[in-house]
Amino acid sequence: MPYRCRSQHAVTPQGRGRYPGFDVLDNVHAWDDVTAGVVLARLALPGGLAFFTSAEVGVAAPLLDLLLAQDGDPRVPVLALIDARLAAGETDGWHYDEMPEDAQAWRDTLRLLDEDARARHSGRGFAELTSGKQAALIQAVQDAGTDGQEWHGWSAEHVWSLWTRYACTAFYSHPWAWNEIGFPGPAYPRGYLNAGLDSREHWEVADHDDEDPIPFADRVETARHEHADVVGEERAQERGL
Amino acid sequence: MRSNYRDIRARNDSAWLIPNDGTRTDHRLRADMRRYGDEDEVDIVVVGAGAGGGVLTQRLARAGWRVVCLDAGPFWDPDTDWVSDERAAHTLYWTDPRQIGGTDPVPLGSNNSGRGVGGSMIHYAGYTPRFHPSDFHTFSADGVGADWPIDYWDLKPFYEAIEQELPVAGQDWPWGDPHAYPHHPHPVGGNGQIFLRGARAAGIDARVGPVAIPNGRFGNRPHCIYRGFCLQGCKVNAKASPLITHIPDALASGAEIRPDCMVTRVVVDDRTGAATGVNYVRAGREHHQRARAVAVAGYSIETPRLLLLSATGRHPQGLGNDHDQVGRYLMVQGAPQTAGRFSEEIRMYKAPPPEVSSEQFYETDPSKPYKRGWAIQTVSPLPITWAEHVTAQGHWGAPLREYLRDYVHWATLGALCEYLPQPDNRVTLADEKDRHGLPVAHFAYSQCDNDKQLTRAATASLETILRAAGASEVITIDRYAHLVGGARIATHAEDGVVDGNHRVFGTPNLYVVDGSVLPTQGSANPALTIMALAARAAARLIAAARGGLAEAQLASR
Ligand SMILES: Cc1cc2nc3c(=O)[nH]c(=O)nc-3n(C[C@H](O)[C@H](O)[C@H](O)COP(=O)(O)OP(=O)(O)OC[C@H]3O[C@@H](n4cnc5c(N)ncnc54)[C@H](O)[C@@H]3O)c2cc1C
Ligand code: SF4
Repeated sequence: MPYRCRSQHAVTPQGRGRYPGFDVLDNVHAWDDVTAGVVLARLALPGGLAFFTSAEVGVAAPLLDLLLAQDGDPRVPVLALIDARLAAGETDGWHYDEMPEDAQAWRDTLRLLDEDARARHSGRGFAELTSGKQAALIQAVQDAGTDGQEWHGWSAEHVWSLWTRYACTAFYSHPWAWNEIGFPGPAYPRGYLNAGLDSREHWEVADHDDEDPIPFADRVETARHEHADVVGEERAQERGL
Repeated sequence: MRSNYRDIRARNDSAWLIPNDGTRTDHRLRADMRRYGDEDEVDIVVVGAGAGGGVLTQRLARAGWRVVCLDAGPFWDPDTDWVSDERAAHTLYWTDPRQIGGTDPVPLGSNNSGRGVGGSMIHYAGYTPRFHPSDFHTFSADGVGADWPIDYWDLKPFYEAIEQELPVAGQDWPWGDPHAYPHHPHPVGGNGQIFLRGARAAGIDARVGPVAIPNGRFGNRPHCIYRGFCLQGCKVNAKASPLITHIPDALASGAEIRPDCMVTRVVVDDRTGAATGVNYVRAGREHHQRARAVAVAGYSIETPRLLLLSATGRHPQGLGNDHDQVGRYLMVQGAPQTAGRFSEEIRMYKAPPPEVSSEQFYETDPSKPYKRGWAIQTVSPLPITWAEHVTAQGHWGAPLREYLRDYVHWATLGALCEYLPQPDNRVTLADEKDRHGLPVAHFAYSQCDNDKQLTRAATASLETILRAAGASEVITIDRYAHLVGGARIATHAEDGVVDGNHRVFGTPNLYVVDGSVLPTQGSANPALTIMALAARAAARLIAAARGGLAEAQLASR
């Protein structure tokens, strides 16, 4: 198994998680080499960006942080993972017929989000806004999508789908995110012996319900409040505009 | 029905041609493969080595035909080419550009079609139900859809043969034409247990299976290790796909599988009206393979696209398209997916996603305002797909993360609704070009009212089962699954693209042998039916050749 320094054990994004001590990387020795290669590569420090311009990074970085609530370190390098994907032209193999293909759609939507910011905040770009104001602008796109409306001539729902699809694909491909959600990642060639309700392999860690017995519904409520704090009153103001 | 391995080996030795030393590919068999030159006029060239093309190739090669099968994608080696990882499995999908539109656009890519030897079955889930007898005459029975020129009983012997060759594991099947499976059902994981518990409590009948994963060893294919990555390609060789169920025997019988070859045109000689071969691009070079007959098996998007791209002076709108039928009646199944939250840990990533099904709602219920029905199955999204399920509820930021942290507590069921075939749901050519300079496919899809009613009713049934199993919360996402149609079988050229022998109307030695030919789709996953149809098409070709009939003569039959 590759060496890992102690501080890098059981890392979760922003230190959040419910599976104390669980680290999928403890099992790298049980994976096949091809899979280990692609997963471990996600841990490497991202190199320079190849796709996004620096102006686009100013919009994309806060957008992605907000979509995924990555408000601190350690962060899954979502921006770099998406940049690599777009630079390589690796799409999902389809795009909505009213939108350009994905790489161009990313450029265009980032520019338009920036235009929204300038239009509503007296010429200040998206990158210069507080995260509350940024979140409100993002929320406005989602709201338009939910209402079946257009955003700068495109279906807002399709724009929302582009952003969330790329963001979630990058984030939940990272072993730190798996540590956070209790998913053990690659399972070849070992497989599982103990499937079934409340069954675990010896290397899986139970949800720490007993240590943190807050019911799921209450946790979601708390997360909603946290989220509302970010989107905040700004949203009310935006909607009024 | 239990099967006799000697009988299976007599018609398809694939599972015994795989190495039994822990590696997944017999490289010797591939290296020693028979190879034809472009100038050799082979008996048939098959475009696409997927569900339809793989079976057709194997059957014809075994009957002594000189067959070349071209596939746009790689000749996979599960050991080196596939990963046990959701994100990195994108190499399995057809990701050349395609446009989607209509009022209900259907995302393609990972959720639809594959690329490479084995086709989409490399990353299909592995459910292999049969169609019901009613699926073959929905128009006479229910006034919707279409009647096929063949019926269930024509296909039944081929269903049985393919079920043995995959082989399929499951409980005795009470629905449609009741039947048994060659292998016993697999033990189920948490998701399957929830389905069985909820169904029992709600008074709904459910059964374990049918899945194309042998229960036990089959030939040299090892046992499933219940690792849950079926949709990312089975590195174990447990889950069936043509790569391991038909291609090895095709090679041993003298077929050539030529990977990494993108077919760009079926060449038709306007003087004779017959196909003379195909043009294809390999490593940037144009080639032409000569052949006495051509079979297209490129999946419901690429097959219509290729027929459209092959227009000639005689068929200016594309082959088989003299009556404006190519690309029409494309179907997807409505696939609402409902997840339920349980206090127990489900850990749905363990065990194959295909575990348990119910076909209780498959047939038309005369007491309901809608026609036809749906099936219910376990689906077990991995984290990225689970995130898609959660974002579909409108969650982002902190609530998204909180739902995802709760992953191990959720069970997920999916429905497959029989959306109806409609003429305007179709593939056409777009202005946009791919990297070969060819127009890409545009796929328009809009639901009809019956479709929407089915989705609502199916979703309600999913919620009922999960609630009955004790879910504290249920959340649903509307998705699609399984594209079929676009070059449908019909009795007359005015109503379809191929006849009951899979022959393209207007071109006597051109065939379509894949999911495109389906006139209706039922609520069953289509791969088994596509393979059974291919086995039947092959049997008819072989019988006709044995009778000394030239292709041209067959046309008049
Ligand atoms: C996520 C997912 C889950 C699924 N689950 C199930 C399931 O559980 N059960 C089930 O029954 N079905 C399932 N399916 C569907 C099933 O896989 C397909 O319906 C079936 O494989 C289609 O068979 P086909 O022969 O029409 O095409 P394919 O199997 O897709 O084969 C087409 C082949 O043609 C090649 N090709 C296309 N165009 C060209 C060209 N121009 N030149 C050269 N080669 C070309 C492609 O590379 C491909 O290999 C699933 C599909 C997906 C995507
Ligand atoms: S769960 Fe079984 S059949 Fe599915 S990919 Fe894993 S080993 Fe193969």
